[in-house]
Formats: sequence, structure tokens, C-alpha cells
Amino acid sequence: MNKKVDGQNSRILLSEKVKVGSKGPVNLTVADPNEMFFEAKRKPAFLTGSEVIKEAIRRANLDMSVAYPITPQSEAAALIGELFSEGYLKEYFRGESEFAVMGQCAGAAFGGARVFTTTAGPGTLRAMENFPMWAGSRLPIQVCVTCRGINSPLSIQPDTLELYYMLETGALVWHAETAQDLYDWILGGFMVAEQPDVHLPLALACDGFFVTHTKDNVMIQEDEICLPEYDPYRSPVPCMDMEVPPIRMMRDPFVMKSNYISYMTHASWQQEVRAAIDRSRKHTKVIMGGSLIETENLDREILLVSSGTAVSQGREAIRLLEEEGIKVGLVKIKSLRPFPFEELREATANAKTIFVPEFNVAGWLAREIKACIPDNQRVIAGPHVAGGMTMPSEVIVMEIKKGLGMKVEALSGRG
Amino acid sequence: MEEQYQVLPGPEAFLPPAAASQGIVLPDPGQAHIEGRLVDEEEAYEYAARKLLGGKVPTIFPGPLVLWKWNEKAAKKASAIRRLANALPARLIPMADYRPKYPKIDPAVEINPNHPNLTIWHNKIDVCIFVGVHCHQANLALKIIRGGTDCYTIAMCAQAGHEDACLSFRDISPETIDKLAATVERLKKEGVESQAIPFEQFVMSREGVVKGDV
Amino acid sequence: MSKEKIALCEDLADVMPPEYQELVATATFGNQDRGWKDIGSSKELIEQHSLCAGCPESIAFRFIMSSIPNPEDSVFVGSTGCTSLVFPQVGIHNIHSLFGNQNAIASGLQRALAVRFPDRVKDVYVLAGDGATVDIGLDMTMQSWFRQEKFTTICFDNELYANTGGQESGLMQKGFVAKMAPVGKKFEKVKLPEIAFESGCHYVAILTVSKPNRVEQAIRRATYVAREFGPTYIQLYTPCILEIGKQSMEGLDEMKDSESIGGRFVMRELMTDEVKAFIKEKEAEDKARRKQAKAVTA
Ligand SMILES: Cc1ncc(C[n+]2csc(CCOP(=O)(O)OP(=O)(O)O)c2C)c(N)n1
Ligand code: SF4
Ligand SMILES: [Mg+2]
Repeated sequence: MNKKVDGQNSRILLSEKVKVGSKGPVNLTVADPNEMFFEAKRKPAFLTGSEVIKEAIRRANLDMSVAYPITPQSEAAALIGELFSEGYLKEYFRGESEFAVMGQCAGAAFGGARVFTTTAGPGTLRAMENFPMWAGSRLPIQVCVTCRGINSPLSIQPDTLELYYMLETGALVWHAETAQDLYDWILGGFMVAEQPDVHLPLALACDGFFVTHTKDNVMIQEDEICLPEYDPYRSPVPCMDMEVPPIRMMRDPFVMKSNYISYMTHASWQQEVRAAIDRSRKHTKVIMGGSLIETENLDREILLVSSGTAVSQGREAIRLLEEEGIKVGLVKIKSLRPFPFEELREATANAKTIFVPEFNVAGWLAREIKACIPDNQRVIAGPHVAGGMTMPSEVIVMEIKKGLGMKVEALSGRG
Repeated sequence: MEEQYQVLPGPEAFLPPAAASQGIVLPDPGQAHIEGRLVDEEEAYEYAARKLLGGKVPTIFPGPLVLWKWNEKAAKKASAIRRLANALPARLIPMADYRPKYPKIDPAVEINPNHPNLTIWHNKIDVCIFVGVHCHQANLALKIIRGGTDCYTIAMCAQAGHEDACLSFRDISPETIDKLAATVERLKKEGVESQAIPFEQFVMSREGVVKGDV
Repeated sequence: MSKEKIALCEDLADVMPPEYQELVATATFGNQDRGWKDIGSSKELIEQHSLCAGCPESIAFRFIMSSIPNPEDSVFVGSTGCTSLVFPQVGIHNIHSLFGNQNAIASGLQRALAVRFPDRVKDVYVLAGDGATVDIGLDMTMQSWFRQEKFTTICFDNELYANTGGQESGLMQKGFVAKMAPVGKKFEKVKLPEIAFESGCHYVAILTVSKPNRVEQAIRRATYVAREFGPTYIQLYTPCILEIGKQSMEGLDEMKDSESIGGRFVMRELMTDEVKAFIKEKEAEDKARRKQAKAVTA
């Protein structure tokens, strides 16, 4: 159970090596991220989610990206390639599989580079062995997961089941609702993930197609500015470049030989990764507008709690219900790891019924919430859709009415 | 209201929790933490100096970042650490690397993050300082020490600090190490006596221990 | 790291363990003419290890670590297997992450180091078992060659999975009865040296570790060629004496038998004429430099 981190440290802490005003890639100038995120002048841009990823990466002072095509992230990964050809990042190539790509990203991060990649669905599962390795090795790689269905049968459509698999990898896991979230969190994500007390991978999720392939107005920095570069010598583990002691150093050695090592080292190592997730809370708050959750009307007896684009559908459902005189509050969960335990307990304190709409068959978010709040019979896991189905706001409206014991006519399936 | 977790010397548990997962938050610049409580840095100097002077076997564990002269600042930190050890007095026992050392370590003259408790137990260390150890490795060691020993742990961290230590500074430099030494000197002048059991610091050569208590 | 930076802080040097004091004083960092002959007269980069007594992997490690020309700026990538019992004790940064992904890690690492240190030579080496290289990791091994990644891949070929107790591997000989090959292996030993050459390796060598000078020569050649041309591959026979039922003293004989005429490990090198000419030139340079150094000290 986390203590709510509040008030303190409202700034992003930087390496002492950062030189604000120095030259970044191409025509960009290195900015203090505190100014870049919160003060710099912004202009509207009408972009697809994929283009949003490109615009964020342009300003991320990235060293390297490795790509592998899978819908719905292929476009974004290819656009990053365009940035490479223009000189905004220093290395880029197509790997041979997601398993290999995540290894290539790891190699680059072991060598002290800032690394970004993207994947989705089957790609995420193909790569899975890498994610706990990244976290255990304290590699602050950012992977944008543009959620899609998992085989079988094959589906290229949005479905958030893969995030369930990501939750215990030791990575930070954030879930963007909008293109604006995506833009701000890609940039902010590097700043959080690279903090020496955090130094963990970040899986930044967004819902495939709903976010990647729709156009939205996004406010982006007007000036030609970028993030400061990554300083690998603040890492909590030695960078593997032979520039830092100790030189007799293996990352990461087996710590399981009972004759000369305590098994407790491995247990403590795993705890330390979880501790680092918890330490990210205070840094994350800064870039997420003060909290890991966003709330509306918490005094209401009925609450919708969700993450990703299910939140957007929830907002519209709340409006429809309001027209009928049914008042519903809202909680948007922005960060899944760290999970906002304390924040959620507080936010749901008055609620009598809590609905959790989700784009997956498992209802994992409802389970997470049930495990965190008292009197969890209040949680109604639904509505669910999966496999690429849309979730019309009317479906949420119906679910809520049904849950309240009201008579409703079923909205016919549209398969 | 649940009771606030405190980061106290152990032996705490078969597998103690990481302090961060118990809600302990790291200090911000200008702050330190004492047993999980965020305090002004100044308060921590005094508290740490008294703890160190009060120990029977106060010991400094310098890590690779200050043992190796990989930059000028490292050399300055090493000099400051030696001054602090002399001021107290405290033993110096290096954490030369983090490898699972084969076939085994000699707990009299080294400490290893994979089983730091062996060195604490062997030398009956009751208060120690971690300095120049990479943060991940320091946290593993600090937690294992809390799990199995009654040693009071102090971290002098060049980054964000350690909530797994009983007391932690952050952003340390040669100057801040000297400041702790100066606080020790001042307290001594004010009449606080070192409780350290007399010892002779070991001296090591390429052949092995040349002199001192091991 | 320059040799000058591999030094101890004066104020704490005399509490450092003896092995580090010796490393700083006598290891051959910064000497591009270092080689296997330094073994015995200088501190080796490898400490005690927990391989089986007499395991040829151990001598292979010692020859390799004494032969790499640029240890102060080299990084190794390993894989799960017996080799990973040695790596924690090696005085060079090295990476273990998963089983079989070594050439993927090395691809990312080598490129990152090239980006971060454009004016320096940073050598990257993969050193992994045959299971890692040929079976579970074959895709990534070959793809790194196709892509012309500039590092050297070294395979410790002990013709089986040693670390998991002696199972069949792709480099095992046909007919060999092993765990998971209960009626004998059904297919030929994979011809990885030829595959490597066809896949784009510019220098390929297959040999045993019975003769240190040969190992040294192969390592130096592979390193130079990887810097200038692209991927290189060395396959070393390091028999697993435990699993083939040999005594700790019998490893050397086993290697010698296998490299005698008609054996599977007769030393072979594969390279293009261009690479051959480059190596000749490079070795002439090395020779001249050594001669001059000798003249100066004499
Ligand atoms: C994904 C995965 N599969 C299987 C294993 C188990 N495993 C560990 S080492 C090993 C065999 C190593 O064989 P080789 O690469 O030939 O090295 P050797 O031990 O023979 O030197 C296997 C199968 C593992 N660690 N990870
Ligand atoms: S099992 Fe075989 S390869 Fe592994 S250390 Fe023993 S002899 Fe060497
Ligand atoms: Mg093998």
C-alpha cells in the first residue's frame, strides 16, 4: 500500500551534466524539461496517434530505436525511421523479431543509450521474456505498446489483454487515454524512467487504432526544443561501456549458487525493482498533472473507473446518463504500475457502485481495483468488449442501468 | 490510520520488505531521511555523527565509485572518506565489486552486496556508512543487513538517497563528506566521546594483509 | 577507459583486496601487443571460476582474455551456459541477460558504443556456448551476420548442452547418444563455419584451444577484421569432459585427437582475398611495432 506522495518535489530533477541551451539534434536546442513541459509555448497540431509518437520522439533527444512491423504500430515505427534519416536520432534499424528487437534495445541501453521502440499484441508476447530482464537489469527503455488482440485467432484490432501480461514484468506501465497523453507521457516518460532512484523500463500503452489511427488536436511545443540527453553515469548499476568501475563486472550475474551466495539476493533484487516502481510515484505525479489518477464528481454514489480509451467512452456515457438524471462520477487511472492504491481508496470512498468498462475479456482492471479497495463487492466488472469490438457509450449506459436494477432493453450485438 | 513504517536496525525479518514499498519516500534536494522521516539535511549531519561516535565498531564501506580513480572527483571523495575515517575513528572495509565472488569472500577485509551480513557479523559492526556504491547494489545490501543484523546503516549517496538505510544523505560530494567529518570533530570538542573499541586499520598489499586488525 | 583511468584512488588504495592491487600494477591494459605469453608474468583478467576442474573452457577463457588487443575498451556479451560461471570473475565489463539472445544484445551494444564514442575503438565480443549460438539463438546469430554488425562471435563448441546436463545440441556429432537423443543424434553436426562465411562473416576460424598461439592469432585477426569489415566468427572446441566421460587431465588429448588429420577440428580459416591482404598488412605492422619496442627496451 503506497503512502500518497504529495506536495513535495514538483520539479523534474536533472543530471548536473545537463547544459540547457546547448545544441541538440538537427536544429533543436536542449531545454530544461520543467520549462519544456509546463511553460513553453504550445501550438495545436492535428495529428494521428502515430504522428504524435513521431513528434514526441523528434523532441526526445533519442539515441536509438529498433523497429519491427506489426499493426497498429508499424506506421509509428516507420515514422521514427524518417526521423533517423533526418538526423533526429543516431541509430535506427529493423530487427528480425520482437524478441530480437527487445534484445537489441537492451544491448543499446546496457551501453548507455536512450532507447525507444514500439510493439503490439503478438509482438508484445513474442518479446515477453525481455521485459522482466529489462527491469531486473534496470534498463530505462521506453516501449510504446499500441494494444491489439492476441492470437488465437489472429486479430489486428484493439484489445488490451496484453497489458495484463505486462503488469508483473517490473516495468512501469502507463495507459494513455488520448493522443495528448501519449505525446506528453512519451517525453515525460524518459524523465521519470531515467531517474537514478527509478531507472526502469516504461511500457507506455495506448489503445491501437482508437489512438494510433484517429486524428486529434494535440498541443505541441512551438519552439525547436528537445529533452536533455541521457546521462548513463547516474544509473544505479554500472553502464557496460568500460568507462565506469568496477571493471570486473557482469550484468547480471547468477546469484543462485547456494555455496557462496545468499538466495536472498535474488529475492531482494526483485523487491528492489518493485521498490523502484514505488519510487517513481513522486516523479510521475509531476508529469501527470499532480496525480496518478484524474477524477470528476467523487461525491456521486455511482463511479466509472477505467483506463485508456474506455475512459473516453465513459465520459460520453456519463453525459447520456446525466440527461436522464442519473449522476455518475469518473476516475481515470493513468498509471497501472505503480498502481494508485491510496488514491483509488480515497477516490472510491463514497461510491456505492463502481463500474469498470474494459476492452478485454479478462477484466483485469476490475480485478486490480477489487484487490485494492475495501468492500469490493461494490465493483461491477464491466461492460467488457474484446477482439476489436467498439464499446458504444450506450453499452456503458445499459450496464449501469442494469447494475442499478433498472429494466433495460438489450442493445443487440452488431457482429 | 496505519502505523508508519520505520527503517530501524534489524534483525527485522526472514525477508524484510523494501522500505519504499512500505511507503517510505526518498528525500528531496536539501533533505535527508532519518529512519524514514524526512528531515532537513543539517539535522541528519548531527544525528549521523552522534550515531557514528556512539558505535563500538563504526565502519565505512567505500564502493567502486570512490575506490577507483576514474575521475578527479572520485579521488577527492576518497580523500574525504579517509579524513572522515580518521576523524571518528572508523574502520574502512571496501566493497571492491559486486560479483558473486568465488570461492568466497574474506569477511575481515571485504564486504559483498550478495551477503553483506557476513562482514557485519564477523566484525561485529554496529554502525556503518555506505559510500560510492551503485544505488541498486547498495539497496540490496542495506536490505539484507536490516534483515539479518542489528547494524545501524547510513548511506552517503551521490544520487537520490536510500530509503533502505536507517539514515540517508543524497547528492553527496567531497564537501559534504568533509562536513560530516567536521560535525564529528565539533561534537568531540563538545565532549562527545568516541565509543569505538580501539583498533588498528588493516593495510593491504599485493601479497595480502601487511598490518592491522583483521 | 584509457589505461590511466584503471587506477586506484591513492587514499583508499591500501585497503583494496590484493587481486585488484595486482590488476592495477601488472595487468596488460593499454598494451596492444599483449598476448598469451603474458600469462604467468602479468595479472590475468580472470579470477578463480567455478567450472569443473580441468574444463577446457577455462583455458580457452584465459587465452582469449590475454589475447584481445584492446581490453580497456572491450565489452563482452555472454549467454546462459557454463561460460556464465566464469564471466562474473572477468576483469572486463560483460553482459548476461537471457539464453540465446547474445547476438541481438551485441548488435544493440556495438551500435550504441559507436554512437557514444565516435572517435574511439570499442570492441564488442560475443562468447557463448553451441546451444546458445546454433540452436536457440541461431536466428539472431545469423541475422547479425546478414546485417553486417561489426563484432566478433565466439562459440565455445562442446558439442552439447553442458550446463543443463548433457543434452543434444545442433553441433553434436551424428549418432552420439545423449540426453534427449536417446537413440543417437539423427542429423549431422551443423556446418556453422561455412554457414557463417556464406552469411557474411568476413573472417571465420574453427580450431581447438590446445595451442595458445593459434587462439591468439584467431582472436586478433577476428578483432581487426570486425573493426574494418564487419562480422567475424570463431568456433573453438572446448570439450565438456564431464559429459563425455573424461578425466580432468584428458581435455588436452581430446582436443589434440580432434584436430589431427581427418578430425572435425582441424584448424581452418575462411576469408576473402581482400581480408587476407588486410590481415597480412596488419600483421606486418604489428611485427614492425613489436620489433621496434624490443629494440627500445634492449
Ligand atoms: C529460454 C531458456 N531456455 C532454456 C534454458 C535452459 N538452459 C540453460 S543453459 C542451457 C544450455 C546451454 O548450452 P550451451 O549454449 O551449449 O552452453 P554450455 O553450457 O554447453 O557451455 C539451457 C538449455 C534457459 N536458461 N532459458
Ligand atoms: S559441465 Fe562440461 S563444459 Fe561445463 S564446466 Fe563442466 S566440463 Fe566444462
Ligand atoms: Mg555447449
